[in-house]
Amino acid sequence: MIEFENVSFKHQNGVTALRNINLKIEKGTLTAIVGENGAGKTTLVRHINGLLKPAEGAVRVFGINTKQQSVAQLSKKVGIAFQNPDNQLFSDTVTNETLFGLKNFGMSEKEQAERLEWALNFFDLARYRDVSPMLLSGGEKKRLCFASVLSWDPDVLILDEPTVGQDYYHKEKITSMIMDLLSKGKTAIIVSHDLEFLWPLQPRTLVMAQGQIIADGAMANVLSDDETIKRANLVRPQLLELAIELHLHPRVLSNVKEAAKLILVRSVGAR
Amino acid sequence: MMYWVAGGFIYRRVDSFFHRLDARVKLLLTSELVALSLLSFSPPELIVTMGTTFAVASLSHTLRRMGKTLAFSAGFAITIFVIDILVGYSIIDALVYSLRFVAIVGSTSIFFLTTSPDELEHVMRWFRLPRDLIFAYVTAVRFVPVLLLDALQIMDAQKSRGLELERGNIFKRVRNFSPVLIPLVVNAVVRSGELAEAMEVRAYGAVEKPTMLYSPLLRTMDKIAAILSITLFLPTLYYFLFLV
Ligand SMILES: Nc1ncnc2c1ncn2[C@@H]1O[C@H](COP(=O)(O)OP(=O)(O)OP(=O)(O)O)[C@@H](O)[C@H]1O
Ligand SMILES: [Mg+2]
Repeated sequence: MIEFENVSFKHQNGVTALRNINLKIEKGTLTAIVGENGAGKTTLVRHINGLLKPAEGAVRVFGINTKQQSVAQLSKKVGIAFQNPDNQLFSDTVTNETLFGLKNFGMSEKEQAERLEWALNFFDLARYRDVSPMLLSGGEKKRLCFASVLSWDPDVLILDEPTVGQDYYHKEKITSMIMDLLSKGKTAIIVSHDLEFLWPLQPRTLVMAQGQIIADGAMANVLSDDETIKRANLVRPQLLELAIELHLHPRVLSNVKEAAKLILVRSVGAR
Repeated sequence: MMYWVAGGFIYRRVDSFFHRLDARVKLLLTSELVALSLLSFSPPELIVTMGTTFAVASLSHTLRRMGKTLAFSAGFAITIFVIDILVGYSIIDALVYSLRFVAIVGSTSIFFLTTSPDELEHVMRWFRLPRDLIFAYVTAVRFVPVLLLDALQIMDAQKSRGLELERGNIFKRVRNFSPVLIPLVVNAVVRSGELAEAMEVRAYGAVEKPTMLYSPLLRTMDKIAAILSITLFLPTLYYFLFLV
């Protein structure tokens, strides 16, 4: 459904940001892209809605080569919420900001009204509907960006660093939003440094380093590999670290309660 | 497009003999070139000026980037040419006047292409301009590339929300730019406020005369280049003013 075929990309200043990427992402799946700063994660996802076109190779989304469509056309299907909210908020009110995409895609008034209500309520922004986006706090701005992208209900949702600046409650909210989207058959791609946030979601995990995908697979497996951890400068989620220390199957521990129970059982057994 | 035009005036680190010269010498050399292009009123003068400008540009490896800006200024040059012809100048004169414009743009851009904001700061200090003015100017110049990068990022974000920037007639396109311009301006204002605070907490303006780590000195190479350029410039100026 999303397909990268031998994709390489060089930025204008000559930095090679992607080297020979081959990748297939199926419909209805959750994929996480992790890796240190400058690894090429953002560059990779910018190829999916055609903001960047590959220098070599091809990117196909729903079978269509991204070179043949405008960014606006592709964005209808692929919504990206970017890292920095200050680079997109411009409207006079939160309502208008949320409606921006819906209007651009020519949705009917009825649809606009429905989607607006859904998005504002879901992201806890309803009480700010007439407030200027510039006056929101950092975390609220970020949520407004999500709302303004999810509002048109794209088939693929890409989140670049969604948890930066979010408090615990809203991180949970993002988790539940992702679960919700997946249950509706949508595809989600998350770029994140926050492995603790990703762990409960157990996504397929791509690890990037120096413009290449150096590991790809179930999160627990990928992150169990010492070599990968070292090359990509990652820190394991605590539960995984614990499982490894206890010589357990890495996926066994999905929350602290479970871990505690296992440790108790073991220590009793040892005595 | 914007980037393309501005590219002819934005400093980029290149290692060449010319780049390594002291900024004051570079200013001298380019002022001489600008003076000559302003005074070029006949084909031979123009050839001398443009030839020298291009020679300096190629010596400093900036010919290609200057070329882009020149190609753009050619649009104006053609307009000047057409107007001159309509007003009744001879073809030769119209050609000289329009090319003179190109020469002025070219010679001016050499200075900006080869002088970093840091060097510019030193030159302004040397002229004993007020410190706040220097700071404001240098900061503004430094902000230009940042703003361009910002603009590109904002355009990307808005295109990703379905904004069409590449289609429609000119009015529609201009109107479509407000989702780009507003965050750009807001970011710039916010950033300048933050910069002011960040400077104050690091004691900007606390003492009358701040000390400096480096004071640039003219090296032998700079002196030679300066003297050489003046000895070539003065006779040429004389020739331009009185002999042609
Ligand atoms: N517009 C640009 N022009 C030039 N180089 C760029 C540009 N954007 C990114 N790069 C370079 O490309 C490389 C990959 O950048 P990218 O933004 O994809 O990294 P990332 O993995 O998203 O990093 P982060 O975790 O910091 O967001 C980096 O070396 C970066 O300096
Ligand atoms: Mg990034």
